[in-house]
Amino acid sequence: MVSLRGGTPPARSPWRGGGWLATGIGLLLLFPLSSPDAFFLDVFTTGFLLAAFAASWDVVGGVSGQITLGHALPFGAAAYSCALLTSFAGWPLPLAVAAAVLLAAVVGAGIGALSAPLAGPFVALLTLALGEIAHEVAVGHTFFSGPGGYAWGGEGGIPVALPWRDASPFSSYYAALVFLCLATFGMLLFARSNSGLILRAVAGSPITAQASGVPIARFKRLAFTVGSAFAGAAGAGFVLHVGRATATDLSLELSFQAATFAAVGGRGTIVGPAVAAIVLHVLFQGLSLPPSARVLLYALTLLVTLRFFPRGIAT
Amino acid sequence: MASPLPQVLLDGLFAGGTYALMAAGMALILGVVKVINLSHGAFFTLGAYVAYALAGRGVGTPFAAAPLAAVIGFAFGVFLGKSFVNPVRSHPFALPVGTLACALLFEQAAQMVWGPHPLSVAAGAPWIGPGGLVIRRWGVIAFLSSAALLGGLKWVLSSRPGLPLRLIAEDEEIAGSLGMDVEAIRYLTFGGACAMAAAAGALLSPSGAVTPTMGRAPLLLSLVVVIVAGMDSVAAIFLLSIGLGIFGNACAWFLSPQWSYVALLATVCLLLSARPAGIVALAGRRD
Repeated sequence: MVSLRGGTPPARSPWRGGGWLATGIGLLLLFPLSSPDAFFLDVFTTGFLLAAFAASWDVVGGVSGQITLGHALPFGAAAYSCALLTSFAGWPLPLAVAAAVLLAAVVGAGIGALSAPLAGPFVALLTLALGEIAHEVAVGHTFFSGPGGYAWGGEGGIPVALPWRDASPFSSYYAALVFLCLATFGMLLFARSNSGLILRAVAGSPITAQASGVPIARFKRLAFTVGSAFAGAAGAGFVLHVGRATATDLSLELSFQAATFAAVGGRGTIVGPAVAAIVLHVLFQGLSLPPSARVLLYALTLLVTLRFFPRGIAT
Repeated sequence: MASPLPQVLLDGLFAGGTYALMAAGMALILGVVKVINLSHGAFFTLGAYVAYALAGRGVGTPFAAAPLAAVIGFAFGVFLGKSFVNPVRSHPFALPVGTLACALLFEQAAQMVWGPHPLSVAAGAPWIGPGGLVIRRWGVIAFLSSAALLGGLKWVLSSRPGLPLRLIAEDEEIAGSLGMDVEAIRYLTFGGACAMAAAAGALLSPSGAVTPTMGRAPLLLSLVVVIVAGMDSVAAIFLLSIGLGIFGNACAWFLSPQWSYVALLATVCLLLSARPAGIVALAGRRD
C-alpha cells in the first residue's frame, strides 16, 4: 500500500487497512475450499463484479466528485455490445470484450463531454436522463437473429455466444476475484496518480482548481472515461458470467446501487465501495429476498447512511 | 374519426394542465427549499395509487381521491422534508442521491403492495363532442381543479400569507433574522409541494395505467418545466406544462407511449447541454 502512494501522498490517506485488505482477499481465496453451495459461489461471483462496478463509480463520483446517476450506461453498453458482437456478428470473445471496454470508454468520454460544463445536481440529472434513455431503447428495441430467426432484445435480452459450455462455479469465482483485484488495483493507481490528485482538487473546489490553471473540463472527461472503461470491463465480466445482456444492466436501479455502495463504503476510497458492494450484496442476496425487497433495503441503507454521514463515511 | 389530431391536442391539454400542478410544486421546492426533489414523481405515483385504492372501495370520484392523496402526500412530504431534506440540503451528494433513494424506495414498496402489473382506475363515461371528439370527464375535472388550485397558489404567493415564502426564496438570512422559522417553513413548503404532486397523480390516475414507475415521466416533465420556465411565474409554468403535455401525448399517439418518456429525457439532456448554468436561482444564489 505504501509503495502505491508514490511521491504525492493524498492529504488524507483514504485507506489505511492494507493488512485487513490482504486478510480479506486471503479469506475469499480460501472460501471455495470449504466446499460451499454452488449458489453461494454464484452470489460471491456476482458480488465481485458488482464490487468492481461500485469502485468504478467511485472514480467518477467519489474521487472526482461528479455525481453520476447513469453509471449503468457504460456497464450496460459493454454488456450489450459483448452480447451483440459475439452472437450477432460472430466475433471471437476476446475481441468482443476488448471492443466492449473500448466502447464503454468512448461512451464515458461522451458523457463527460456533455456533463463537463454542468455543476452539482445537474450532472446527476443529465447522467440520470442519459442512462434512462439507453434503458428505454434497450427495452423497446428488438433485434432479429437473421431470416426466420427468433427475436432478441426487449425484455428478454440478448444471449452471449460463449466458447465454453458450462463454466464451473469455481473457475467463475476465481476469475471474478482476480478481475476484481486487478481492476481495483488499476483504479487505485489512477486515483493516486497525479491525475487522480488533480481530480480530487476539482472535486473539492472547481473554481480553485481552475484558478490554479487546471483545465477542469478535460479532467472531468478523463474521470468519466476511466471510470466508464472500468465499468465496461465489469459489465463485460458480468455478461460473461450471466450469459445474457438484459435491460436491467442499464437500469436506474443499477446506477443507484453503485452510488449506494459508494456512500456506504466511503466515497473517494475506491476500496471502500468495493468492500461495501461485496458485503451488502452477499448479505441481501444470501437472505434470498425478492428483488424488490432488496432494492428497498438498499434504499433504506443509503438513506440512513446519508442522513447521519451526509459528507461521507470516509471523511 | 377523421383526424386524431384534435383528440391528441385535447387529451394533451387535460394532462398537461394537471402536470402543471406537479411542476408548480417542484418550482416551489426549488425556490424555497432550494433543492431538486427527485422523489417528486413518487408522490405523483402515490396519488394515483390512493385513487386506485379508493376506487376499489367504491369511491370512484376524484373529488374524494385528490384531497385524500393531498393529505397523505403532505404527511409523507413533511416527514421527508423534516427528517431528511432539511438536514442534508447543503450536501451536493446526499441530496440528489437521497431523494432518488426515496423515489426507488416508494417504487419498490408500491410494487410489493400492489404488484408490478399495470392497474387501471375506472374513468366514467366520457362525453362525445362535435365530430366524434371524446371529451373525457376525468380530464375536464382534472384540468379545472388544477387550474383552480394554481390560481389559488398564485394568489397566496402574491398576497400577505405568501410573503415568508417569497422572502425565504429571496434571502433566507433576512427571513431568519426577522423571526421567521425558516426550517419549519421549508419542510411545510416541501410537504405542500408533495401534496400538489400527489393530487395531480390522483386527478390523472384514470388517464392511463397505474404502475410503480409511472411517476418518472411526470418528474422529467416537471424538471423540464422548471429549467425552462423558472420559478417565478405560475402562468409560465402552466402554459409550458400544457405544451409539454400535448407534446408528450403526440409522441405517445404517433410513435408509442414509451417514446414520450424518451422524448422528455432527450429534452432534459438537450436543455442541460444548451443551458449549462441550469436553473439560474440554484446556480447563482447558492453561497
